Amino acid sequence: MNFFLALLGVLSFALVGVYLAAVFDRLIARSISGPAQSGGSGIARAGVLVAPLAEAAALMSRVKTDTEAPDRANWMLTPAWYLALAAAGLSVIPFAEGVALTRIDTGLVFWGAVEALTVVVIFLHGWSPNSPMPLIGAYRYAGIGLPIMLPSMFVLIAAAMPAESLSLVKVVESQREVWNIVRQPIGLPLFMLVGLTITLRGPFDYADGAELAGGTKAESAGPARAAWELARLAMLVSFSTMAATAFLGGPLGPGLPGPLWLVLKTLAVMAATQFAGQWFARIPPSQALFLLWVVILPLSFLDLLVVGLVIL
Amino acid sequence: MALSILERFAGRADVPVYLAVGENGLPRAEALSLRAGLRPVASPRAAAILVVAGTPRPEDRHDLARLHDQTGRPRATLWWGALRSFDHGSFVDGEADPLPALRGLWTELVSKQREDEPDLLPDVPPNPWRGIGPNGQGGKGMMGGTPYGRPMAMTDADPRDGLELDAYTAEFGPFLPMFPPGLVLNLTLQGDIIAKAEVARPAMPQPEAAWSGRAMAARVVALLGLSAAAARLRAGGMPALRAAGALGALRGLAPDAEGRDLRERLGRWLEAPDAPVTELPSAPLPALLHGLEWQEAMLTINSFAPPRLTGQATETAAESAA
Repeated sequence: MNFFLALLGVLSFALVGVYLAAVFDRLIARSISGPAQSGGSGIARAGVLVAPLAEAAALMSRVKTDTEAPDRANWMLTPAWYLALAAAGLSVIPFAEGVALTRIDTGLVFWGAVEALTVVVIFLHGWSPNSPMPLIGAYRYAGIGLPIMLPSMFVLIAAAMPAESLSLVKVVESQREVWNIVRQPIGLPLFMLVGLTITLRGPFDYADGAELAGGTKAESAGPARAAWELARLAMLVSFSTMAATAFLGGPLGPGLPGPLWLVLKTLAVMAATQFAGQWFARIPPSQALFLLWVVILPLSFLDLLVVGLVIL
Repeated sequence: MALSILERFAGRADVPVYLAVGENGLPRAEALSLRAGLRPVASPRAAAILVVAGTPRPEDRHDLARLHDQTGRPRATLWWGALRSFDHGSFVDGEADPLPALRGLWTELVSKQREDEPDLLPDVPPNPWRGIGPNGQGGKGMMGGTPYGRPMAMTDADPRDGLELDAYTAEFGPFLPMFPPGLVLNLTLQGDIIAKAEVARPAMPQPEAAWSGRAMAARVVALLGLSAAAARLRAGGMPALRAAGALGALRGLAPDAEGRDLRERLGRWLEAPDAPVTELPSAPLPALLHGLEWQEAMLTINSFAPPRLTGQATETAAESAA
């Protein structure tokens, strides 16, 4: 019974999170671009709260299209896998002190697997339509995906060290006195780079960018496109919750109930990630590879080293 | 009931349109993209309405028909100050505001009051089957046949770091959203690296305003993933590009004939945003693109006014033909 209540809670959290993420995206875009020019008299238009629902309905009212000789099974399944990975990531998060849907001792390793498989799923999404733009996006993303996974592992190990455990429940517990963001201030920004990559956002959207006419999703239409966007937002919620848990103490906090603290921290990380996604430029991939291997990777190793020395 | 709720919500959504720009249509197409009530999309698959802004050249008609057939279904076409090259769709004058017509078409599509436009071209592979053997490889070794006009992938000498990849050759354009309208390039790609580029068709003529510093800067900024900042530029504002790292991203790219890189040139464009961009590329387009990664190549193409870019390129093509 308790399990089903928790499941219901996590599911509604994910749904509300996805909706809020879609609203945030529009608000942030509007704050950067300024208001859109008027459509003129008599043009009915959805406000920012209704717009995500209207766009979803518009996509659902359209028909899925086909390409010449696609890998149909993979093409159809990739949005579902992406969504499943987001859900799997959420399942190991402790929503209240000591309470998670799946209590495993290796939650951080599990999340690492979610990240790595996300790269595989996004590659497959670009591979399967049998079309040049998606394929270029897929290969390019695989090239960026590898070096971004390494800093992710380093900063998460640095979060696990004070807890002396890979269990997220214990990682939360270890932050009772001091949050990991204080122990490793650059850990969260580095982890946000990973978040931008696995949610295909702005500066690290090397799969679905404008220069590729939409990249891996260029051939997707109607419900298939809606599913892909839904999964992308769900992964954002999943990532933000993980970041709030590993670096901001998860459900710990004074006064308010634990789950509420987690929700607030998650929304803060989510909004910051979305803002960074729309604010920062996407540098050409060759520069990005240089940045990742030569700057970010040593920085994340340094982060791990500092935490280790402090603990000693 | 459920269906009517879906229809009602969908009817309020921004109309997803694909802008196919013809002669002299670019400034008004980009101005339209700022309006509330429609959403230009990067791929025809994601669009419900194909907007043809300005008449395409006769040689682009077949590509336009193919674009029509790739538009999502149910679909409609709006000719906006363009001569029809096929029978379907509605017409709006080039001086008139197309938004009411677009909203009307969208409402009709969503409520299924308008009939879906059928495909114009037969749904067959673009080239005949010339494969040898049951799987097309045939011939000597693996690579003999050319099934459906595409040779089997073969590794090719790498232009950059010695890693040999399969070469892929295809025609890109003339309505690709990140190309100047009308430009058709024959590109040979290895992964996302341009191994070889040839100009098949130059860009279509556009009014001078299309190559103003502001318009050019907005296109470059959009290619860096900053669509909101690009919209602000187009609307006459000035986004914080330096703080966004946009200038740093352009360092060393697309040098002009005087050796100024795109970072420096973008700064100059924004100092005089209404003046046309007149810089000359340092080399003809094929040489300019050789060995560039896809994003760098798109930034390079969009950093020169096409008359300067393809003017040179066609001369070079003529020279090499002679």
